[in-house]
Amino acid sequence: MMLIKYEFLKILRKKSTIIVMAVNLLLTAFLFGLPILQYQTYHQDGVIKGLEGIAYDKKQYEDLSVTITDEYVEKTITEYQNLFENPDHVGFDGNEKFLIGDAYWNFVAPRENLLGMIASVYDSPGETSGFNKLPELDMTDGAKFYPARNEKIESLLNTPSRDLSDEQKAYWRNLNSKVETPLQYGYHEGFKIIMSSFELLMFALLAVCIVIAPVFSGEYQAGTDAVILSGKYGKTKLVTAKIISSLLFGVLAFTLHILVAFGLPLAAFGIDGWNLPIQIAGATIPYPFTFLQATLANLGVIYLVLIAMIGLTLFLSAKMKSPYLVLIVLVPVLFLPLFLSPNGTTGAYNLTLFLLPYRSTMPEIGKYISYQIGGMVFDVFSIRAILYAALTIMMLPLARLGFQKHQVA
Amino acid sequence: MQLQLQDLCKQYATKCAVNHVNVNLAPGIYGLLGANGAGKTTLMRMICGVLKPTSGRILLDGKTIEELGERYYSHLGYMPQDFGFYPDFTAREFMLYMAAVKGLDTKTAKERTEQLLHMVNLHEVANKKVKSYSGGMKQRLGIAQAELNHPSILILDEPTAGLDPKERVRFRNLISDFAKEKIVILSTHIVSDVSYIADYIFMMKNGQFLLDEPMETVTDGIKGKVWEFLADNREAAQYSRHFSVVNLHHENNLVRLRIVSDTAPAANAVTVEPSLEDLFLYHFGEDAQSERSDDDAD
Repeated sequence: MMLIKYEFLKILRKKSTIIVMAVNLLLTAFLFGLPILQYQTYHQDGVIKGLEGIAYDKKQYEDLSVTITDEYVEKTITEYQNLFENPDHVGFDGNEKFLIGDAYWNFVAPRENLLGMIASVYDSPGETSGFNKLPELDMTDGAKFYPARNEKIESLLNTPSRDLSDEQKAYWRNLNSKVETPLQYGYHEGFKIIMSSFELLMFALLAVCIVIAPVFSGEYQAGTDAVILSGKYGKTKLVTAKIISSLLFGVLAFTLHILVAFGLPLAAFGIDGWNLPIQIAGATIPYPFTFLQATLANLGVIYLVLIAMIGLTLFLSAKMKSPYLVLIVLVPVLFLPLFLSPNGTTGAYNLTLFLLPYRSTMPEIGKYISYQIGGMVFDVFSIRAILYAALTIMMLPLARLGFQKHQVA
Repeated sequence: MQLQLQDLCKQYATKCAVNHVNVNLAPGIYGLLGANGAGKTTLMRMICGVLKPTSGRILLDGKTIEELGERYYSHLGYMPQDFGFYPDFTAREFMLYMAAVKGLDTKTAKERTEQLLHMVNLHEVANKKVKSYSGGMKQRLGIAQAELNHPSILILDEPTAGLDPKERVRFRNLISDFAKEKIVILSTHIVSDVSYIADYIFMMKNGQFLLDEPMETVTDGIKGKVWEFLADNREAAQYSRHFSVVNLHHENNLVRLRIVSDTAPAANAVTVEPSLEDLFLYHFGEDAQSERSDDDAD
C-alpha cells in the first residue's frame, strides 16, 4: 500500500501532471460545452440561442412523448399529408413541395426529428430523402411502420457491398428481434450529443498517456532506476505498485474528464431520454439499448481502450529511455486513424480501422459492423471489448517484464 | 558473510568494461580506485544486480543473486553515482518511499528515516523539497537512503563527487560510522577519499584489477620508487614532461618535486615513504594527472 501511495504521489506531484490535466479539462469542457454555446433553434419570431433555445425545444417535445405505434405513425403522416391539401400552406422551390407558414411552425417545426426518423424507415438503404417524401407515401394500407422498418433492415443485411455471411445476418436479426416495439419517443438531446461526441474523449485519453509516460522511462531518465532496482522490492512489488498507481490515476483522471464531458450536456439539456430506445435516433439501429445503456456500453469499451492504452504506454515506458520517445510512438497510434476514413463496413482495411483506438471511441451503433471468427459472430462493441481486454492482459505483464529486465547502463 | 565475484565480465559491443574479475570480500571497507572509464561503475552495478554480467557469477555466502532474489537485495545498500532524486518529494517522503522499496514496515521506516536524517544532519530541512537541496545535501540524503535497511553490503559509487573539501571530510566520517561489520565498497578516483578509511585497496584499469592489497601493505610495491628533490624552474618543467610528478612545491627560487619512478630521476633525489596517491599515479600516470586537474578545476 505504501508503495502504491508514493507511486501515486509521484505521478500527482509533477508540475507537468497538473498542467496537462488542467489544460485538458478546460479543453474537454470547451468541446462538450460548445453544443450548448452554439445551440440555436428557430420559431416564428426568429432564432433563440443557448439555454433559452434548449428550454424552448424541450417544451416543444412535451407533446411528443408518445409511443410510436403504427396507428400513431399513420395518424401523423396522414395529418402531414392533409396539410398539403391547402395551397396556402404549401411552398415549392422548383424541386419539391414543403409546408410553410403556420402549418410549418405548428406541425413540422416541433417534430422535425420525429418526422425524419419516421421517413427514414421508408427510404432505401443508403438513401436519405428526409420527411419531404412523406406527402407522397401511399397510405392506403396504413403506415406499416414496423414492417417497413424490418424490411429496411433486411435490405441492409442483404446489401451486397456489406458482404455479410449468413451467420452475421442471423446474429443481427436475433439482436434486432430483442428491440422492444412499439418505440417510445421523447426528448433525448443531451444523450444525442453525448453519443455523437465520444471521440472527443481521445484528448483525455492522450492526456492520461502523457502523464503516465514517465512512470518507468522517467526513472531511467532521472537516473533513479539504479537505486530503486537495487531495493528489495525494486523488481517485484514496486513494479506492481507502479502499474496499479498508473491504472488508478488513469481511471480517476479519465473519470474526471467524463464527469465534465457528460455533466455539461446533461446539465444543460437534462437527463431526459435516458430510458428511451436508441432507435428513436436511428430507426434501424439493431442494438436493443436505451440511450443510457448505449452510452454505458460505449463508455465501457472506452474504459477498456483507456486501460489498454495505459498498458501500452507502460510497456513503451519500460522499454524506452525517455518519456518523449514513448510519446513519439504513442501519439501516432492514437491519432493517425483520425486521418483515415472508412470506405465501407467490410474488408480488412475497414474492419481494422474500426478497431483502432480513435475509431473505437465511436459507437458506430447503426452500421451493422460485425466480425466473424469461425462460426462465432461479434458485434463491434464485443470485439473491441475483447481486443482491448486482451491487449491489456498482454501489455501489463510485458511492461512489468520490461522494467524487471532493465539494465542500468 | 562473504561476497564472491567469480570470473566476472561485462562486454559491450567493442569494449570489455569488466574483464574477468575474481575477488572474495569479507566485512571491511574496500576502496576501489581507478581512472574514469576503468570499469568501476560497471562492476558496482553488477554487484548491485542492476546490470547483468556477460559471464561470471556473484555469490553471497555461496548463493548466486538469482538464487537469493529479494533476499540478496535486502542485504544491499547502494548509492549510485549521480543518481537522480524525485524533485517534488521532500527528503522525508523520499526516505519513506525508499524504505517501502526496501521492504521496511511503516513503523521501522519512520524510525530509521528520522534516525538517519539526524545522522546526516538533514532533519531540520526534512520537509523541504529535494529540488531545493545543494549537491552536498543530496549526497548526504543519498547515503542516508542507502543505510535505511541496515545493509550488510554497502556500495558507494563516487560518493564525494562534486563535494567541497569540508563536505568530503564529513562524508568520509559518515561512511566510517556506517561501515561497522559491513562489506563497504567505495569507488572513487579521489585517493584521499579512501586513504583514511579503507582497509583494503583495489585498483582497476581497463576492466581489470591491477592490484588488491590491504591498506597497510598496499604501497609496499613502490617502496624505493618515490623520490623528492629540489630543482630550478627550468629543470622542473623538463622533469614534469618526462616523469610522473606527484607534487610540485615552490621553495624560494627552487621547486621541490615528488616523482614516482623506477629509477632515481636526479642525482640529488632521495627516496621517501610512498603514499596511496603515489601508488595511484604510478599506475595511472597521465590519466590520473588529467583527472586531478579536472577535479581541481571543479
